[in-house]
Amino acid sequence: MSADRIIHGVVRGEPITIIVDGEPLACFAGETVAAAMLAAGVDAFRSDRRGKPRGLFCNMGSCYECQVTLVASGRRVRACLTQAVDAMEVVTRG
Amino acid sequence: MADLQHFDVAIIGGGPAGQAAAVALSGHGLSIAVIDEQPRPGGQILRQPPARFAVQAWLEGRSYAPLKQLLARFQALSGITWLGEHSVIGVQQGSVMAMGPEGVTTISARHILIAAGCQDLAVPVSGWTLPGVYAAGGIQAFLKGQQLLVGSRVLLAGTHPLQLLIAAQIVAAGGTVAAVMFAQPRSAMIGALTKHPLAALRRAPDLLATAGALRTLARAGTPVLFGAKIEALTGNDRVSGAITNQGQVACDAVGLCYGFVPQSAVPRMAGAQMKPAGPAGGWACVHDEWMRTSVPGIAAAGEAVGVAGAAAAAAGGSLAGIAIALDLGLIDADAADRAARQPRRALLQHRAFAALLDAAADPTDHFPKPAGDTIICRCEDVDHATLTGQVSAGGSANAIKLATRCGMGACQGRNCEPSLLRMIAETGPGSDPGFTARFPARQVSIADLLPPE
Ligand SMILES: Cc1cc2nc3c(=O)[nH]c(=O)nc-3n(C[C@H](O)[C@H](O)[C@H](O)COP(=O)(O)OP(=O)(O)OC[C@H]3O[C@@H](n4cnc5c(N)ncnc54)[C@H](O)[C@@H]3O)c2cc1C
Ligand code: FES
Repeated sequence: MSADRIIHGVVRGEPITIIVDGEPLACFAGETVAAAMLAAGVDAFRSDRRGKPRGLFCNMGSCYECQVTLVASGRRVRACLTQAVDAMEVVTRG
Repeated sequence: MADLQHFDVAIIGGGPAGQAAAVALSGHGLSIAVIDEQPRPGGQILRQPPARFAVQAWLEGRSYAPLKQLLARFQALSGITWLGEHSVIGVQQGSVMAMGPEGVTTISARHILIAAGCQDLAVPVSGWTLPGVYAAGGIQAFLKGQQLLVGSRVLLAGTHPLQLLIAAQIVAAGGTVAAVMFAQPRSAMIGALTKHPLAALRRAPDLLATAGALRTLARAGTPVLFGAKIEALTGNDRVSGAITNQGQVACDAVGLCYGFVPQSAVPRMAGAQMKPAGPAGGWACVHDEWMRTSVPGIAAAGEAVGVAGAAAAAAGGSLAGIAIALDLGLIDADAADRAARQPRRALLQHRAFAALLDAAADPTDHFPKPAGDTIICRCEDVDHATLTGQVSAGGSANAIKLATRCGMGACQGRNCEPSLLRMIAETGPGSDPGFTARFPARQVSIADLLPPE
């Protein structure tokens, strides 16, 4: 199950593509990486020590469950605070 | 490490409190930095959609109108340097360290206002680490800010009335809410309201918003249940249901809504005196009648001084702004007193309403019971059984942190500290000052802290 974008009454930025773990993912300029991933049905951001998938939790920058690595800079960032930019490449594992 | 920037005033947080302070300080020719990790101002209550979006009918409800006016005034101010996408990682008297897209910046300012707001209280229950389980405020922020519905059948569960509003917003956006489950009995909520009819009446618009939310949910056939407690969240790779004392519920997203706690990492690190924030837990800044903390040159306003809603945050922010103008010698004591009269009155009123809300939403006796293997510290995977052992052996929060790594992870204990302190209060030595706050308040790589080559 994936999250659904609200279409009615909403005009988004231009369509762009980001790359998550090597897979192209269609989204819109200005969306957060977290929103783009959820809308594409990608809701596991990591596995915990029990090998169980973990999702994001707070969507406001405080829980750190949404961390991804920006391939270009090597920085670990919070996907819920990071705006998607065309051709941006992220990997979910550190 | 990047550059050094100088300002007269640095405001941490672009929510209602930070905006109101900036408005109160405008017109004096001051240089003011407003630092926020969100790209756009608004704070949690007005999480703005990206500048690239055009959203018709964004947050049209009556209770949002005065906040949208304040935001518009703030955005029209001159002399403000908006440092969006900057996370404050440390504060001390006279300086703020922030991590931006290009690295770490140090901001020097004679006056610093901490207006960092609050966060959802993180409440552990079996299965809460499954993808699809969110803090309820997070679901709402996806709606407001990203125009995204996180699931096709959302269950809201907790004790805080805000979940009614969130449920109604989901329904209005075309989504489906499986149920809104209040763990407390209906009488506990109604009782709190009728005990303080005056405070309730003064905030009629908010109560009407709640009534409106109930109507929206009734029309949609959404069950609103009381005394309904979640026992476990279930699913394989993501959440697919909940086991409750009133039977099983199928859902593909869950929002946990047991209340809010101040974001306290920054003031605690600065050494400001703190006090317990309220029934939901957490720590609030102690302040004087001008919103000054115990650290000279550092003031606090908004939910950093206690969770009391956006209107109280704005009133406290105004007061803090007026006080900074007074302390900088820009206005005299008489002028400050005159200007402070209205925000002081507003603050009192809103706090009375907040106390009522606190009583109605009090989660103390209504938390889910974690199982032994329920993870309490999400970052370091420390479970309830491990912590129970430590707590009954009499450990303090700091000692348990060292022994188990609970609170040592990426979130710096923001999620697990209230849970651990509840355990210590219930079965351990009792009150505990919590984890010692450590730099940085937000994770940062060592490379970003080193001087450039
Ligand atoms: C997710 C969420 C949703 C909410 N929704 C509602 C609602 O619908 N209705 C309602 O009445 N109340 C809501 N609340 C409560 C609400 O937050 C307040 O009533 C109001 O927004 C408080 O205003 P404030 O100015 O104190 O803080 P906020 O509005 O929270 O603003 C604080 C700002 O500080 C920033 N910040 C925090 N820490 C740092 C840091 N270290 N570095 C940089 N920036 C930082 C944050 O990004 C935020 O923008 C919500 C709370 C949360 C957490
Ligand atoms: S979801 Fe919590 S930090 Fe991003």
